[in-house]
Amino acid sequence: MEKAHHVGMADLIVVSSPEMLMTLGLGSCIGLVLYDQTAKVAGMVHIMLPDSRGAGAKAAEKPGKFADTAVPALINAVCAKGALRTRLKAKLAGGSQMFALPGAETDFLAVGSRNAKETVDLLKKTGIPLVNSDVGGNKGRTVEFSTVTWMLTVKVLGKGKTEI
Amino acid sequence: MDMENFSNMQLDAMREVGNIGAGNAATALSVMLSRLVDMDVPKAELVSIYELAEYYGDPLKPVSAVFVRSEGEFTCSLIFFQDEEDAQSLVDLLISQQMAGMALDDIPPEMRDSALTEVGNIILSSFLNAINVLMGGTHSISVPGVAHDMMGSILQVIASIFGQTGEYALIVDTTLKVGDIEKNVSGKVVMLPDPGSLEILFRKLQVL
Repeated sequence: MEKAHHVGMADLIVVSSPEMLMTLGLGSCIGLVLYDQTAKVAGMVHIMLPDSRGAGAKAAEKPGKFADTAVPALINAVCAKGALRTRLKAKLAGGSQMFALPGAETDFLAVGSRNAKETVDLLKKTGIPLVNSDVGGNKGRTVEFSTVTWMLTVKVLGKGKTEI
Repeated sequence: MDMENFSNMQLDAMREVGNIGAGNAATALSVMLSRLVDMDVPKAELVSIYELAEYYGDPLKPVSAVFVRSEGEFTCSLIFFQDEEDAQSLVDLLISQQMAGMALDDIPPEMRDSALTEVGNIILSSFLNAINVLMGGTHSISVPGVAHDMMGSILQVIASIFGQTGEYALIVDTTLKVGDIEKNVSGKVVMLPDPGSLEILFRKLQVL
């Protein structure tokens, strides 16, 4: 078993092959992976919220927290470790809605879908191809990214594993 | 409201709110089950949102959680959560109490889930009723939402509530334990005041 780095909430970690990246129990958050198979470098960021407006100067301290600061920060971090921007590919998982309360004012409970939409939109703008994704629904996910097979393994409680 | 600097008096006031709410919730559960229900001393803590996932132990542990929102002058979220095993034991207790004679294996899973949601709903409504009396005024409560999932995923809901405006979450929690039985059945009642409505609460409690 290769060394696995745990990417906690709002964390951003970059590794070289053959090390692994993982995040336990993603709910509304997003696990975004950018990787360069030729340079054998991959990075994962654990995004909590869609945008940093309203967070002020604090957003700069934890760029991984918001989608709009996390995407550029992750691109910079993987490139600093030797990845080439034009070779980067992306995979992502998460963004579920754990609770639904019909009739209540609960925009904040739908933060998962906004996280997913914002992240995908930002990736489009950068031109980095999104190879595969597993987002939405109402179940939590545990994800592991292998820098040997370049696959993202998604585990859902009671439903087993899928590789994307 | 500066979420990183509460006075001891304010945290004490929150503990007292937790105490009054959980006391009422424990009574409701006790009546429902016709059993003794014990409660721990409530806690009120500021927790870094980045450490929330591990705050209650293993983030991969399967839990059952019922979630409601309270709306009105003072808005907050309330969660009742239990280890999945405890939740199923609680349903068994409830069904054998309310539907004596029915074999537990004959109860379809949807009905178990519905029973669990209702227990959570009654516990959280009772908690909120006590707060209403304390605060004066009325607060409406949403329909309950229920999830069976990993603890870490459930706790991210809390992180997203507090994360937009800061780095800390104010968590008021109490453990309820059902007595008189061999098996250990317990659950946690967690109150999460919206950051924007804390000032109203503190003013009412005269600790601002």
